[in-house]
Amino acid sequence: MQGGSSGIGYGLKYQARCISDVKADTDHTSFITGTLSLKEENEVHLIRVSSGGTELICEGLFSHPNEIWDLASCPFDQRIFSTVYSSGESYGAAIWQIPELYGELNSPQLERITSLDAHVGKIKCILWWPSGRHDKLISIDEETLFLWSLDCSKKTAQVQSKESVGMLHNLSGGAWDPHDVNAVAATYESAIQVWDLRTMKKTNSIERGHVRNIDYNPKKKHILVTAEDESGISIWDLRKPKVPIQELPGHTHWTWAVKCNPEYDRLILSAGTDSNVNLWLASSSSSDDITSESLVDSPTQRLNPLLNSYSDYEDSVYGLAWSVREPWIFASLSYDGRVVVETVKPFLSRK
Amino acid sequence: MGVDDLPMDDKAKRMRDLLSSFYSPDPSISPSPDSPSARPQQITLDDINSTSFDPDHYMNFLVEKSNLEGLLQRHVEMAAEIKNLDTDLQMLVYENYNKFISATDTIKRMKTNIVGMESNMEGLLEKIMSVQSRSDGVNTLLFEKREHIEKLHRTYNLLRKVQFIFDLPVRLGKCIKSEAYADAVRFYIGAMPIFKAYGDSSFQDCKQASEEAMAIIIKNLQGKLFSDSESIQARAEAAVLLKQLDFPVESLKARLLEKLAQSLADLQLKTKELSNASVDSKDSSKEESIPCSAPAAAHEASVREFAEALRAYCVIFPDSENQLVKLAQDLVTKHFETTGEYVKERICSAELLRVLRVIWKDVLLMDEVLHEAALPDYSLEAAKVAVKQYVASRFSHLLHDISDALTKVHGRQKDGGKEYSLQVVLETSKKAVLQGSMDVLLDFRQILEDNLELLVNLKDLIIDLVQEGFQDFFRALDDHFLLLSGRNISPSQDQGLTEGTQGDKAFAGLVLVLAQLSVFIEQTAIPRITEEIAASFSGGGVRGYENGPAFVPGEICRIFRSAGEKFLNLYIKMRTQRISLLLKKRFTTPNWIKHKEPREVHMFVDLFLQELGAIGHEVKQILPQGLRRHRRNDSNGSTASSRSNPLREEKLTQSNTQRARSQLLETHLAKLFKQKVEIFTKVEYTQESVVSTIVKLSLKSLQEFVRLQTFNRSGFQQIQLDIQFLRTPLKETVEDEAAVDFLLDEVIVGASERCLDPIPLEPPILDKLIQAKLAKTRDQIPSAS
Repeated sequence: MQGGSSGIGYGLKYQARCISDVKADTDHTSFITGTLSLKEENEVHLIRVSSGGTELICEGLFSHPNEIWDLASCPFDQRIFSTVYSSGESYGAAIWQIPELYGELNSPQLERITSLDAHVGKIKCILWWPSGRHDKLISIDEETLFLWSLDCSKKTAQVQSKESVGMLHNLSGGAWDPHDVNAVAATYESAIQVWDLRTMKKTNSIERGHVRNIDYNPKKKHILVTAEDESGISIWDLRKPKVPIQELPGHTHWTWAVKCNPEYDRLILSAGTDSNVNLWLASSSSSDDITSESLVDSPTQRLNPLLNSYSDYEDSVYGLAWSVREPWIFASLSYDGRVVVETVKPFLSRK
Repeated sequence: MGVDDLPMDDKAKRMRDLLSSFYSPDPSISPSPDSPSARPQQITLDDINSTSFDPDHYMNFLVEKSNLEGLLQRHVEMAAEIKNLDTDLQMLVYENYNKFISATDTIKRMKTNIVGMESNMEGLLEKIMSVQSRSDGVNTLLFEKREHIEKLHRTYNLLRKVQFIFDLPVRLGKCIKSEAYADAVRFYIGAMPIFKAYGDSSFQDCKQASEEAMAIIIKNLQGKLFSDSESIQARAEAAVLLKQLDFPVESLKARLLEKLAQSLADLQLKTKELSNASVDSKDSSKEESIPCSAPAAAHEASVREFAEALRAYCVIFPDSENQLVKLAQDLVTKHFETTGEYVKERICSAELLRVLRVIWKDVLLMDEVLHEAALPDYSLEAAKVAVKQYVASRFSHLLHDISDALTKVHGRQKDGGKEYSLQVVLETSKKAVLQGSMDVLLDFRQILEDNLELLVNLKDLIIDLVQEGFQDFFRALDDHFLLLSGRNISPSQDQGLTEGTQGDKAFAGLVLVLAQLSVFIEQTAIPRITEEIAASFSGGGVRGYENGPAFVPGEICRIFRSAGEKFLNLYIKMRTQRISLLLKKRFTTPNWIKHKEPREVHMFVDLFLQELGAIGHEVKQILPQGLRRHRRNDSNGSTASSRSNPLREEKLTQSNTQRARSQLLETHLAKLFKQKVEIFTKVEYTQESVVSTIVKLSLKSLQEFVRLQTFNRSGFQQIQLDIQFLRTPLKETVEDEAAVDFLLDEVIVGASERCLDPIPLEPPILDKLIQAKLAKTRDQIPSAS
């Protein structure tokens, strides 16, 4: 279980929190990541897995004006991505375009398409609709949820609608339903709420506190995976929001990030502050009929849901991304700026 | 001989054939030769014997076929044959002639014998004729007289019958008086046809009177039948008589059985009384050596009565057996139903045994009377059920006891009573588990050792039941533990920090108790119980060997080991969750980027230490001490405090501030050379391990919270101050100093990384502030106490 030396590494210069799969790049498996440094000049790295899968090549290195707290690649244009950044006191969010490279590597400037500057509070994240071309964008700050209408050619982004949830609920993040363009799940201090973007009304809610990260299962409708500080990982069926359909023990300390595999619907990856990345296999009948006993049995299940634990990290792992192009590959990013790309191929056969 | 035999045979046969052909009318039906050896010759030779024999053809054939020698030989043969035939013929003629002569002689003799017979026969005929005529004469002479006599006789008979009928009422009256009902019934039945024929005309009065008498008789007979004082014989007779009178006996029977069923109900009540009485007598007459108390004796008497009644009815109504069997089975069923009810209450095996013994006695009594009911088998089945119920209820009571022991104190605490101690809960529940299990085993052993026949048959079943019962019991207990820990989790989570404090605390304690209790069950209770079971409950085998014994201590141990770990982890999780919440409040509320200069150690430190203190208090009550802690206590003495060692403190502070000042690269380098500290080790069931795990997890959380913020210089200094203050008390509580040091440093490093202007506080100021805080705490403690 231990070890995981199969991974290939790549070092960022500074600390970093976020990494994203470049979905729109259909020719290569590439990831984009940005650093988090308060005092130094921050960088955005475009990393490609070499054709043999044996090393990581820096495809582009761009300077970014502020430290990056969130980064997401545009699912339909490989050159576009979004960042959430902060400069000590204030937060900002912007859509960027990578300039044409023509083989040079010497830090050309990123082209800022537009800034999403309607926010007042701490911006948490920017969401692209994960399933394809869509001209809308969601940004979430502590109190408000914005729906933007993005026009890349005109380089404008306009607030289409917004909904404030009030001071009491601190929004902490969210996920856009890949099965339903109008549904987005947002995490609060004490609950997860699903919003309908047309009416900007809550349609569903799960009472669960301390949710760090949330991800929709891209293969199965209504299935949602959450990572919680102390309670590990919970898998939910939105039709039965009272109790999770399965609970996984998570990490020794907090479970920070959780990601469903884009292809193999039972594979779940989680990253934790115990400097581990764990690969889980959710129970197969995760849609029905195990609701009651899964509560009792989940820790003592006969089949250990933990497939592997990658422990080759020096610090907490915050960034996690599956590759869509090669769904058995994932990239993880620990706080000390180390990107590790691993393959889960050895575990696929066990399914 | 054989050579000789064949021609002899041949010869005789041919002769017979020739003779038969001679005598038979149809020459074609000559017997065919049967010996195969003769066949080839037959074609040529036998032709000579057939009617269609053609001598010329034969001659030609012979001449053509044979040479002279052959012909000569054939001639000789033929001549011999002809000679033979000649002599045979002569013999035959002679024999037949002889027979003919003897037949003629016999006929002649017969003729002479018959001659004198005819005259004798004629004389005989004459004599017979005369006899007949004389008898005819006598007959005609006596005819008239005979007729007269016959008439007289008929009249006499009729008169006698009339007399009898006229006398019938009187006679019946006499019979009633003398209770000779059998005679009366016989008389009445005899007169019945006459009454039927002439009852409406000539003998009306007579009939009425006798019917009245019969009504009395029937009434008396019924009375007799119903009265219990009469002998069974008499009652049976009465029933038979009533039946003879065409009285509807069936309805009578039904009524009687009803009565019996009623008495059954009475009997039932008595059973209940008995069981109640036995409960009472348990207290009052414990030392009484007589096993049968007064109510038991009464019960026995009534059952005996019932059995007698059964016997009586059996005799009276031989065809009512089925109903009686049903009644008896009903009684047994009811007995066991009562037992079932009784078992649901809290009873010990002695009481169950007493009840079962009474029932068995009843059953035996009834079995004597009504063997066909197969009551022992029936009650064996019922007893199986009862024992099963008993075992089940015993275990459910035990489960209840344990959960009571666990929750009672928990509940009391919730009401506001402060002087509850987890230790007491643990001890009570430990006792409840072990003592309870032992009591249960003792009880079952009593049942097992009892030599009541009913139970002896069930021995194997009971053993299996007990084993199965324990297996199920421990599973249920595990489920129950989970329920206890799971039920309260959701409400306490929803409550805010301040509201949930009280309930939460008690609950976390409960989880800790559960953890330790699970360990206790795994390590102490299960082995004891296994031993006990092996000693007195081995065997069984109703389940079959392939299934193995029902009680699998290994499995139970595994369940509880994992449960124990689960609860321990849950406890740690719950505790760290609370601390996380505290830290989260601390780090998300202020604006760190506009933080003011640190003036004192922030109060969250107090809260944090307070939480740790509470955890330490809980843990100390429940978990055993680890070895390392012990040694440390000894060496450190009791008065060791941060103040007593200022030099060391200062050094530490200095090194820390230096590290905080250092750049990222440096820390990276430092980290490279520092051995990676194993922060998250496996939790053990010791006070120190649990506390240090919680501390480590909390510090890690602290680090994570710090990393999410951006600080100005003052904010950073505040963190530095708080952490510095925490250092000493944490190291005192935790066994793994290196890890704590590392984590605390990490927090400061993390804060410096997230600080725009990471200039640490000067050591003297730091020290001063810490001293101030210590002094303040010292002031508070005496004032509080």
